[in-house]
Amino acid sequence: MQSMIKVENLTKRYAGVTALNNVSFEVNRGEIVGFLGPNGAGKSTTMRILTGFIPASSGRAEVAGLDVFDDSLEVRRHVGYMAENNPLYVDMRVNEYFKFRAKLKGVPHADRKDHIQAVLQLCGLTDVRNRVIGHLSKGYRQRVGLADALLAEPDLLILDEPTIGLDPVQIRQVRQLIKDLGKRHTILLSSHILPEVEMTCNRVIIIHHGRILASDAPENLMKTLNAGGLINVEVRGSESEVQAKLRGVDGVNSLQTRAGEDGYVRVTVEPKAGADPREGIYRVVAGSGWALRELSRTRTTLEDIFVQITRDEDEAEEERREQRRSLLR
Amino acid sequence: MKNVPTLLRRELNAYFASVLGYIVLMFFLVVMGVTFAVIVSYLNRGPTQMTAMKIMFSMFWLPSLVVIPMITMRLLAEEKRAGTLEMLMTAPVTDFEVVFAKWLGAVVLYTLMWALTVLYVLILHHFSGGTAALDLGPIATGYIGVLVIGQFLIAIGLLASSMTKNQVAAALMSFALIFLILIVLNWLGYLFQGGPVNKIVRALSPSDHMEDFSRGIVDLRPVMLYLSGAVWALFVATRVVESRKWR
Repeated sequence: MQSMIKVENLTKRYAGVTALNNVSFEVNRGEIVGFLGPNGAGKSTTMRILTGFIPASSGRAEVAGLDVFDDSLEVRRHVGYMAENNPLYVDMRVNEYFKFRAKLKGVPHADRKDHIQAVLQLCGLTDVRNRVIGHLSKGYRQRVGLADALLAEPDLLILDEPTIGLDPVQIRQVRQLIKDLGKRHTILLSSHILPEVEMTCNRVIIIHHGRILASDAPENLMKTLNAGGLINVEVRGSESEVQAKLRGVDGVNSLQTRAGEDGYVRVTVEPKAGADPREGIYRVVAGSGWALRELSRTRTTLEDIFVQITRDEDEAEEERREQRRSLLR
Repeated sequence: MKNVPTLLRRELNAYFASVLGYIVLMFFLVVMGVTFAVIVSYLNRGPTQMTAMKIMFSMFWLPSLVVIPMITMRLLAEEKRAGTLEMLMTAPVTDFEVVFAKWLGAVVLYTLMWALTVLYVLILHHFSGGTAALDLGPIATGYIGVLVIGQFLIAIGLLASSMTKNQVAAALMSFALIFLILIVLNWLGYLFQGGPVNKIVRALSPSDHMEDFSRGIVDLRPVMLYLSGAVWALFVATRVVESRKWR
């Protein structure tokens, strides 16, 4: 498969700060890739380099086979970009703005009307096309930014925090829109909101302190990081008996119980790595004749993974620092 | 440079989409109108060597000092503050196209403003009975002077705007620079009568050049000075915009 974005050993230093540290990754045509990281991780910096707004300090980046520095103007023709905080000309009308942007992006005169019509419809902006952008609600403005990115039918969409500051309904709408767009475009989007990336992206790249920590499909990330997740069991029985019997089940690492007032005992089981003791638990429960109200597994969310990876990284960082300090002493 | 017409149109729309364009026009017309009225009543007192339009042109520094910072302060500072510069510079346009179009937009507005003062010429023409009192040649060269000097000062204002995110700071900076160029140079000329300093100052001072222009003299040396000055300022402004790339 042809790669849409190819980044090799990208490093970006600002005065005294290393925003990106030797980052390499690839995005294939047709993928929806989510850039995930806390604020200041280097997401926007990477996007700005890819769109030619700023150059990297070292390393290479290619979009559609073109070098982003040497062929900057050509690269920009392939990319639809929505920058952080979605900056727009607030004094212009929606229609006017799209006309201006279409001309700038080199959409041929004959196609301009059709393109504008198409993005107005796609992003649900037809009703507000004659309104001044500054008077629109945040949700509409976000859609204007998204529509602008789509205007020239680019191969690649780069969206920096596309749903930030929206209410839940609007977030759902924008998410759906992005999913639909993914059928025809390659998309790289950034977010520090995990469910968003989890729901819209085929692949997640986790970035922290300017370094890539993980890059995989959300499902795989969950699989590799923690096969288990916790298991919740609720049975009617005496607490001590439940505790003793369940502890003996194959694959159970540890468990905690809490007796409820209605005679049910709530058990939280931590399975051994890679094991799934649910079947064993069921057999014990059935054999003991307890009533069973719940037997479920909590899914590991990207949030857990993210917290874990970044914490591991921070700990490793701290360890390295400690080593250096002891060496100096 | 194929994107310049598109960018220019946006710039001109921006002046009149906000109140700024109208405020500047109003300010300019009030100042020029009052100046014109004072000149006419002064000339009414008796015959002098001066013509109305000559005095008018010699007063060009007065609106320039305020109007040029006002029309240039937003140009780049506001784009930087609002972050729209990022949207502009990630479209397939070059940094110079953007800077040039912004300069051109301000020059067009400035030209439009001065074009309105042609009305004064018509008034003079009407009331002077169309006699030799109104010599159109020097008036035309006077307008050339106003535009040639004005486009340079606009480039300076744009340069100031490129250096900050704050419009007020940009306005103050260009006011200071224009004050230096228009007022301080002229004042130095008075301070050093005769001698090499006086010569240098007179060669550089816009008020001296304006005096020549309004007498019907188009000297190519000052014209080249202002044109190359503007090219220099636009070049530096472009480099400042580009500086995001090497900072």
